[in-house]
Parts: sequence; C-alpha cells; structure tokens
Amino acid sequence: MSNTQAIPVEITRAGERDVKIRWQDGHESVYPARELRLKCPCAGCLDEVTGALRLIASSVPQDVHPLKIEQVGRYAVTIRWSDGHHTGIYAFDYLRKVCPCCSDKRQATSDKRQVNA
Amino acid sequence: MATQYIIPIASGKGGVGKSTVSANLALALAKTGAAVGLMDADVYGPSIPTMLGITKPPEVDASNRIKPVEQHGLKVVSMGFFMKPGEAAIWRGPMLHKTVQQFLTGVAWGDLDYLIIDTPPGTGDVTLSLCQSIPLTGVVIVSTPQDIALNVAQRAIAMFKKLNAPILGIIENMSHYVCPRCGQREEIFGVGGARKTAERMAIPFLGEIPLSTPIRVASDEGKPIVLSQPESPGAKAFTAVASHLAAQAGLRAQQGAQVKVTF
Repeated sequence: MSNTQAIPVEITRAGERDVKIRWQDGHESVYPARELRLKCPCAGCLDEVTGALRLIASSVPQDVHPLKIEQVGRYAVTIRWSDGHHTGIYAFDYLRKVCPCCSDKRQATSDKRQVNA
Repeated sequence: MATQYIIPIASGKGGVGKSTVSANLALALAKTGAAVGLMDADVYGPSIPTMLGITKPPEVDASNRIKPVEQHGLKVVSMGFFMKPGEAAIWRGPMLHKTVQQFLTGVAWGDLDYLIIDTPPGTGDVTLSLCQSIPLTGVVIVSTPQDIALNVAQRAIAMFKKLNAPILGIIENMSHYVCPRCGQREEIFGVGGARKTAERMAIPFLGEIPLSTPIRVASDEGKPIVLSQPESPGAKAFTAVASHLAAQAGLRAQQGAQVKVTF
C-alpha cells in the first residue's frame, strides 16, 4: 500500500477538464474527466457487496468535470463534480490501478498473450 | 493551528492502557521542552481528565473556539469535559465525525510540536475520521503481550495501512510485573509478543512498559508517574519509549505526506 508507486506528488489539471497525477516514481497519469466520474468508487455508484456498477453512464453529462479536488487524510482524494456528485473517495492505490495508460498496457499485454497462444 | 507531528495512540483491543500510555508519553515529550497537546478522543470512556487531575472545564475564546485546559504543561481537550459524570455517549457515526472535526479545527491549540491523540479501541468511526480528516504523522499501536491482544492489534495495523497512515511503532504495555517485595519478575501476559509481532510486520518496536502498581496509582491520583516519580522504573520506561517515538516521528515527517493538489 505505501509503495512509492501509489503515492502522488502532485494532482493538477490537464487541459480544460481532465485530471493529471504525477506519482512519486515519476509516472504521469492523465484521467479524462468523464471516465474518472464513471469510475467513482462510492457505494451509490458501485455496489458495495457485488462490486457491480450501479451508475448509469447515460445519466452522466458528457461535459462532466471536477470543480474541486481535496485530499482525504494521507491516502485518497475526494472530487466535487459538476453534476453535483461528491461522495466518492478515490484512494491513491485505486487511482494508480485505473491509470488509463497503464491499464491500456496491461490490456495490450494480455491481448498479445492471446495472439501468441 | 500549526502542528509538527500528529500522533494518534491506538490499539485493537480495549483495556491495554492507551490512555495511561498517551498521558505519560505526552508528559515525557513535554519534559524535553516540546509544546505538546493531548486530545482525548475516546468518546466512550474519556479518562484523560482523571489521569491529569483536571477538574475545571475549558473556556471559550472571543472567536468561539475552545481553549484547551493547561495542566502539567500540556494543552488538553477531552470528550470528558463536555459530558456530565456518569453520562454515556450514545452516538452514531456522524456525531462522532463532527466531534473529531470540532476537536481538530474548533480548538485553539496554538503552535504545537506534538499533538498526541488518545483514541477509542478498535477500527471504528473516530479512528477512521481522524485518518480522513488530517495527514497524520503516524500511529502508535499499544498492545499487551498476549496473543489475543496482538491478533486484534494486527487488524488495526491493517486498517492504518489501508488508509496510508504510517505506523510509527508498537509499544508493549503491561509487559511484565516486578514484585515490589521480592523483586521477582513475573510475566503475567507472556513477554516479547509485541516485539516479535513488530519484527514480523517490519514495524519499529518502541519499547516495553512494565505492569506496575505505582503507574496505576499515579494515574488514578491525577499525576502520572513521569511527573510524580520520574526516577522510577516505570517513568524511565516511558521516557525511553518517548525518545524512540520522537525519532520515528522525525523520520516519518521527512518522508513527506502532503500531496500538492491544484484543482
């Protein structure tokens, strides 16, 4: 949990709406605003027991974006969204796990494995 | 408020001596010349006022903030100040969260080197609120040496790891008993269990505090042993633990907790 990978150094804006995180290991993640909204881990958006997505994607405006990002203790941030949603606590290790470029890469490797097989 | 180190004293199991340890560590740190605040966040059984012999309630300053009671060189705020004797705190989570917030931001702590926080046992609302509200320097875990206490302590450690709150170390309380008559050492709860747990989990071991009648009596009388009998083995054990704690806090603080958020 407290590995250097999942500790951000700076959380800032990327372009107009997106969120950029610079991590302690030097990696930079850019999260498109709406994608991050759809990944909200709160109990209203994600079923606490089954982990199934409860949030209906079509109910989230296309131009949804963070209004304010605040740190929660030492382990997470909370985001106040333009659609009024604000109950999600995004833990740093969760954010790192859903980093768009890293999950693309993971996806790519598993695709390659499938091709090789 | 500008506080250099914010250190909750936590445990898994209840009754392992968190409050006694909190009070004595706070006093030992204050003796080194540090400015120390002691926040008693144990809403269910606040015992810091008794241990420090505080009888007067705190005052409120001009800007409606609680002024901590100054006692034995410590700045103290306790849930006990706001409850009638014999009354119970029967509160749901949101009330507890609000109280923790109030104690952190609605108290005129002034500039502190250390804020020691005595917490309720376990992994409940108060402890969770603390971890979510402020970037803690790190948590101290108190345990007795027996397996049953250490097992629960490990659960508490797992919670803090999940919340990225560093563990500054484990203290073994009620480590052994020295008979005041014959001087024989009796290991009532076994010995060395906390040290072994600390080694296994790669967490600093901060030291052992003996189970001793003078420590208990001093706390009951409102003048903890670090003050009343500074040369006793009990007081010396607390002083040694406090200096290890100070070193760990310094190390952790250098590793930096604050993320720069500009959004």
